[in-house]
Amino acid sequence: MGSVARPARRRTLARRERRFAYALLAPAVIAVAALIAYPMYLIFATSFREGKSLNFLALNRRPFGLGNYRDVLTDGATWHNVYVSAAYTFGTIVPAFLIGLGTALLLNQVFPLRRWLRSLMLLPWAVPGVMVSIIFLWLFDASFGVVNYALRSLHLISTDIAWYTTESTALVAVIVPTIWKSYPFFTLTLLAAMQSVPVDLYEAAKVDGASAWARFRAITWPGIRGPATLALVLNGLWAFREFDIIYAATAGGPSQATETLGIRAYNEAFSFFYMGRASVVGVLMLAIAMLFVFLARKQLRKEFF
Amino acid sequence: MNGKRIRMWLLGFCAAVLATTAWAQPKPVELEFPSWQFEEPGAGDYWTAIIAAFEASHPGVKIRKQQIPFREYVDKMTVRFAGNNPPDIVHLPTRNYLAFASQGWLAPLDDELATTDVKQSYTKLADEMNYDGKTYGVLMMGYGMMFFYNEKMLADAKVAVPKTSDQLLKAIAATTDANAGRFGWGAPTNQHPNVFVEIATWVTGEGASLFKGNAYNFTDPAVIKAVDDFRAAVKDAPKGTSSEQARQLFLDGKIAMLRDGPWVAAQIRKAPDATRPYLKMGPMPFAVSPGGTSNSLHMPAKLDPAKKKLVWEFIKMTTEPQWQVKFTTLTSSPAPRKSVMSAPEIAGNAELAMVNKAAADAVNLFPQSVAVRENFNEFAKIFVEYGMKLIGSDRPTLDIMKEMQAEMTKRVPPK
Repeated sequence: MGSVARPARRRTLARRERRFAYALLAPAVIAVAALIAYPMYLIFATSFREGKSLNFLALNRRPFGLGNYRDVLTDGATWHNVYVSAAYTFGTIVPAFLIGLGTALLLNQVFPLRRWLRSLMLLPWAVPGVMVSIIFLWLFDASFGVVNYALRSLHLISTDIAWYTTESTALVAVIVPTIWKSYPFFTLTLLAAMQSVPVDLYEAAKVDGASAWARFRAITWPGIRGPATLALVLNGLWAFREFDIIYAATAGGPSQATETLGIRAYNEAFSFFYMGRASVVGVLMLAIAMLFVFLARKQLRKEFF
Repeated sequence: MNGKRIRMWLLGFCAAVLATTAWAQPKPVELEFPSWQFEEPGAGDYWTAIIAAFEASHPGVKIRKQQIPFREYVDKMTVRFAGNNPPDIVHLPTRNYLAFASQGWLAPLDDELATTDVKQSYTKLADEMNYDGKTYGVLMMGYGMMFFYNEKMLADAKVAVPKTSDQLLKAIAATTDANAGRFGWGAPTNQHPNVFVEIATWVTGEGASLFKGNAYNFTDPAVIKAVDDFRAAVKDAPKGTSSEQARQLFLDGKIAMLRDGPWVAAQIRKAPDATRPYLKMGPMPFAVSPGGTSNSLHMPAKLDPAKKKLVWEFIKMTTEPQWQVKFTTLTSSPAPRKSVMSAPEIAGNAELAMVNKAAADAVNLFPQSVAVRENFNEFAKIFVEYGMKLIGSDRPTLDIMKEMQAEMTKRVPPK
C-alpha cells in the first residue's frame, strides 16, 4: 500500500517544485517581456504601417501592408548602408582588438608606473562618444587640423585633405575615433584573462627554450581565447549599432558615405517622418545582428557553455 | 503649563505657520524655450532683454533658455514633437515650420492674432505663416542676404571690393593662401542645412532659379552656370566648416569674404580688436539680391491652458513696436513690422539703410511650393547630400544636378 502511494506523492512533490520554480522565474520572464519583447513587437508592428507620419497616435491609422519592406529592401541605398555598417564594424573591431591585445601584453609585464599606465590606458573608454567626435573633428580639421599639418610637414601630402567631407576618406575618419574609444575594452578584458594564466607555465616554457611567439601561441592565446571571443562579439555588436560618434561627426554624410543602418533608421524616422521604413531598417539590423551571433555561436558554446 | 511645554507649543505653531506659508506659495511657472540664437551676439542680446522684461512683468514666471546648435536644431525639435514632449515656446527656422504645422503639431494663432494689429502692420513676408487657411506663427524676421568682407585682406591682395560675381570669383582666388591658413571665401562645407542656402544664394543672385513654378529647375543652363561659380568659390573656402565656424573664421581674419544674413553685423561689433576695424558689410555683388524669411515663433498644439496664455503673451510682446525697434537695433536686421523706424532714423544709420534696402529688394531663395515646404527637411537633406558632391568631387555639375533633380522629383514631388 505504502509503495503505491509513494510514486503519487513524489509526482505531487515534483509538480509543486515545478510550480515553485516557475513562480521564481516569473519576475524575470515578465521583465524580459516588458523590456525586450514589447519594444520588439512595436518595431515589427510599426514596420507594416505605410506612409509618412511621426504622430505615434496616428500610426495605427496608417495603411497596413508590406510596402515598407518592398521600398527598403529594393532600395540600393539600403545595401549601401549594409556595406557601410559592415565596413565600419570590421574596420573598427579588428584594429581595436589588435591594439587592445598589444597593450594588454605590454601591461602584463612588470615595469615601473605600471598601475598608472593601466589607468591611463582605460581613459578613452570613459569619454562620451560625442566628445570623442569633437576631439577628432579638431585633429582632422581640413584647414587647421594637426593631422594635415603633420602629413604636410612630413611631405606625405601636398594639399590638405578634407577628411570628414570627402566621400573616400570620411569612413576612415569616423573609424579612427571609434578604434580609439573601443580598444581599452579589449585591453581590460584580455589583461584580466592574461593574469589568470599560471606563471609556472611560462617559466617551464622558458626552461624548454620556447620563443616569445611560441609562448604566446601555446600558453597565452589558449588562456585568453574565451574572453577574446566574447569581447569581439560584444564589440562587434556595439560597433554595428554605433550612432553618436558617426552622427556627431558627419551625420551620415558626405553623400551617405558614412550612413550606417543606425543613421539611416534615424534619418528615415526623424528627418523624413517615415516611421514604418525606419522600423524596417531596425528589423534588418536585428536580423543581421542575430546572424552575427548565430555564426559565432559555435565558438561561444565551446568557450562558455 | 511649564516653560518647556510653552516652548514646545510655540515651536509647533511656528513650524505649522511656516509649512502653511510654504504650501500656499504659488509654484513658479517655467516656460521652456529652445533656440539656436541665444549665444549669437545681437540676437542673443535681444532674447536676453525681452525675456528679462517678460519675467519682470510676470512675477512667478520663468523662461528657461536652452541653446542648441543650428545644425541639429530641427532634428532635435522633430524628435521632441514626435515624442509628445514639445517645448512651450517654439522657435523655428521659417523654412521648416510647415513640416511641423502639417503634422498637426502647431496651434493656429488666428484667434489670438485677431486681438492685435499684426495682420495689418506686418510686411507681406508674414504671409508665409499662413497654411491651409490658418496662421501658425509670428514671423521674427525677413531679410536680404548681405556681403561681408575684410577690407585689409582685399587691400593686401590688391583687389577692390567686388561688385559682380565675376569680380567676386577673382577676388576670392586673389585672397586665398591655403598654406598660410587664409581663405578667400567662407561657406558651410560640411553636412550643414545651410549648404542649400549657400547654393541657392549663388543661383538666385545670378538671376536664375532652382524652381520653375511648382517644378524643379536644377538643370537649367543658368542654374548650372551659377552652381559652377559656387563650386569655383568654395574651392577656396576652408573645408569641413559649418556656417557658425565660417563666421568665426571671418571674425578672426582668416576668411576674406562671406555671404550671410544681416545679423553678422552685430557679431562684427564683438569681433577681436585686431580685425574689427577691417570687417565691413555691403550689398551682395550679384545682379539680384537674394533673401527670404528667417525664423518665427509658434505655439505647440498640445499645451497646458495656463501656459498657453503665458506663451501667447510672450509671443505678443515680440510684436509690439518698442520690441521691434529693439530687435532691429540689437540685431542689425529688419523687423517684420512695417515702418518700425522712421525714414530719417533709417537714413541716419548707414548699416540699417543698407540692410533695409537689401530686404526690400530681396528675391526669395526658398521653395514656394507647399508640397516642398511641407517636406522641407527631406528636401534639404537630399539637397545637402548632392551639395556635398558638388563641394567634394570633380564630377561635372550637370551630371550631379541631373541626378539630384531625378531623386528629388521621386522623393519630394514638388506638387
